Amino acid sequence: MAWKEVLAEPGSKVIMLGNVAIARGALEYGVSYASAYPGTPSTEITEALSYAARMLGAPYVEWSSNEKVALEGAIGAALTGIPAMASMKHVGVNVAADPLFSVGYMGVPGALVVVSADDPGMWSSQNEQDNRWYGVHAYIPVVEPAGAQEAKEAIIEAFKLSEKWEHPVIFRSTTRIGHTRVPVEVGEINMEGIRRRGKFKKNIDRYTLVPAHARKLREELVDKWEKISEHLSEHPLNWVEGDGDVLVVGVGLGYRYAKEAVKRLGLEGEVKILKISTPVPLPKKLLLKHAERASKILFVEEGDPVVETLSKSLFYDEGLHVRVYGKERGPIKRTGELNLANVTEALARVVGLDYARPPAAKVEISLPPRPPVLCAGCPYRAVFYALRRAAGKARVRPVYNGDIGCYSLGVNPPFQMQDTIVEMGGSIGLANGISHVVDGDQVPIAIIGDSTFFHAGLPGLANAVYNRSPMLIVVLDNRTTAMTGHQPHPGVGVTASGQPGVELDIAQAARGLGVDYVKVIDAFNIKEGEKEFYEALRYVKEKRRPALVVARGACILLAIANARRQGVKYTVYRVNLDKCTACGLCYRAFNCPAIYAGDDGKARIDPILCTGCGECAQICPFDAFEPVDEVSEEWLKIMRTAKPI
Amino acid sequence: MERRVLNLVLVGVGGQGIVSLANVIANAALENGTNVLVAETHGLSQRGGSVIVHVRLGEAEAPLIPEGEGDIMIALDPLEAARYAHYLRLGAWIFMERKVTPPPLPGIKVPAMEEVKNALERAGFKVNVIPAISEASRLGNPLGANVYMLGAAMSSGIFDGFLTVESVERAIRRVLKKPEKNIMLLHAALKAVSSR
Repeated sequence: MAWKEVLAEPGSKVIMLGNVAIARGALEYGVSYASAYPGTPSTEITEALSYAARMLGAPYVEWSSNEKVALEGAIGAALTGIPAMASMKHVGVNVAADPLFSVGYMGVPGALVVVSADDPGMWSSQNEQDNRWYGVHAYIPVVEPAGAQEAKEAIIEAFKLSEKWEHPVIFRSTTRIGHTRVPVEVGEINMEGIRRRGKFKKNIDRYTLVPAHARKLREELVDKWEKISEHLSEHPLNWVEGDGDVLVVGVGLGYRYAKEAVKRLGLEGEVKILKISTPVPLPKKLLLKHAERASKILFVEEGDPVVETLSKSLFYDEGLHVRVYGKERGPIKRTGELNLANVTEALARVVGLDYARPPAAKVEISLPPRPPVLCAGCPYRAVFYALRRAAGKARVRPVYNGDIGCYSLGVNPPFQMQDTIVEMGGSIGLANGISHVVDGDQVPIAIIGDSTFFHAGLPGLANAVYNRSPMLIVVLDNRTTAMTGHQPHPGVGVTASGQPGVELDIAQAARGLGVDYVKVIDAFNIKEGEKEFYEALRYVKEKRRPALVVARGACILLAIANARRQGVKYTVYRVNLDKCTACGLCYRAFNCPAIYAGDDGKARIDPILCTGCGECAQICPFDAFEPVDEVSEEWLKIMRTAKPI
Repeated sequence: MERRVLNLVLVGVGGQGIVSLANVIANAALENGTNVLVAETHGLSQRGGSVIVHVRLGEAEAPLIPEGEGDIMIALDPLEAARYAHYLRLGAWIFMERKVTPPPLPGIKVPAMEEVKNALERAGFKVNVIPAISEASRLGNPLGANVYMLGAAMSSGIFDGFLTVESVERAIRRVLKKPEKNIMLLHAALKAVSSR
């Protein structure tokens, strides 16, 4: 993907992804330090910043090993007096929660913005958590843009707010903000700002949170919180439109839905819209001022009823009796994303108008599902195939403890080899527990990716060694953080700004942690995989301690990109119909997207989808898959060594 | 033009170029001075999975098209057309690829294109089947089916007042690789479909 829009000419109007607009806003403010761990829907913010860093030589941008490390780095940088940001997806904030909960106590002399990209609707996530609660819980103000249209301005305001109060700020985006493309008018990049260097000034009473200091800071924090709330009642991102007895509070993106619903019902000017982009702490004065004059209030917000709940508490304290509508008691649905039909219906009900949704068509046809799948040529398909066969041969009943990454797709047929998926690093973590309480042939097999291994796998592995947890750990090393779009990680040795970093060796790390049985295998070699997984499982069963196998093979998309750059060509494969017996093994038990069944039941290969990985040729019992041209040695090498470009 | 908002539903299979097409349309809108919102699918859902992109042209505020209010659909796969047709208003046009891309799952029954077309028509939609994938291949740009499809859809006139052919051409030059090949596909489609 191209990131050049982030450096668009000042004064021009360009189409930008919301996430790129957030990056541009940070550059216009003059962010000097930006750290992140990739995660949908946040990744493009740091991709764009890393592009800017490569082109401009600043700011400092880093892919950190996990979100906690990213936030700690940003806190450290902000303590030297420069503006810093840490970006992550909503569940990444859970990983970073430990420092997050205390940084409010100390505050920051620079500016610190934590970008949380929430994912209502769970398009790419395991849950739907609303991270504005973190703001409430940790005493950190939250800024929430009203759509991608406002993302660039709102991030600048978030930095200004942080700078003014010397206090961290959470910038809450959502999928439909970060992943919506809109026209954005760009301003000047603050070149001096992004190149700023910091200086750490000692302030022990503030920066060392020992109980004696923290108690004092806690008092200050609660006091500051009320002052920030007052300030936010006057904030330029909050405003009022129209007038009337009915008050619609549109929070963040909720404002866009509210505004369009008002238009659709022909109520422009007849209801009052209070637009709020600073939900936490509640801008109490502003809310009260308009709530006092309203007969009914409808809250429209993406995620949980955060502003609604806080407002009701405020109304109770102030003795205000007003009918409140929203998500707690309806009529807006609490789960999933906001949608215009639901918001229009809700508003119609509140104002007492008739509104019927347009008739929905019923298409009478039975459709097969189309879940996301492992790509044609993915090395993980070969590993799953080999691992399943090895487990059968070793006579173990495996519990496949899965993790977060492309290999999560192993949950789908034909493999269904992800029995648990919870969070980053959860594979080894859950396997630890299972390994100590199951008997007989049940063996936990933790399946974890390379980036995930460095992110949160290491502590679980230390635990497995220390407590002698009998499990097999399979590290799928595809040389990149693939799911989020090929970011580098500590095992790759390239930094976010394209500089050479140090390449950490997963096998060596495991040995260093005390794993006695460590093997590195070629992920694309199914025969070798089957043999090595079999032996590792035997070891776990007999020795009752952890074994670790690194299955190394580049993400095929990365390999193709590397090959193109080096001018290396690969050959696609075809089916020799004289040899194919229509047994269906390839399209029933292996299911490469490039292979399909012809009307005669024999396999076919779609040459546009085939990536020349050669996995099919290894599994066919009749040798029916053949390369169309000669297989290039250089290509075979790239498949095993490719790196993010 | 009386219509103030044009809701365009783009669907297909991850990897078919739906997101790139949406980017072309967004840039064309900007060239044409039309406001635009494009809500995309990224990440996990994208890997060969079912993809829907919501494009709202004109005076729209919210990023998502409400069900039953899409004005037109471009579908690079017939199955995906049927999967998301409930986003369209009754009577809307569907510009649908002829070739079915079967999901790579074991033991599933995949309906044929004709079955899908009939079901969509029975449900109250107008369907125009376009051999975009084969035409794009024949014209030397197998990955250009997305642009070919846009050309076909533009021949319906529904984009009048929101996009012009010239604005699309400029957008293609700005955001796509091999712009000349893609512009050629755009025109080939405009010509083929309007002369039918």
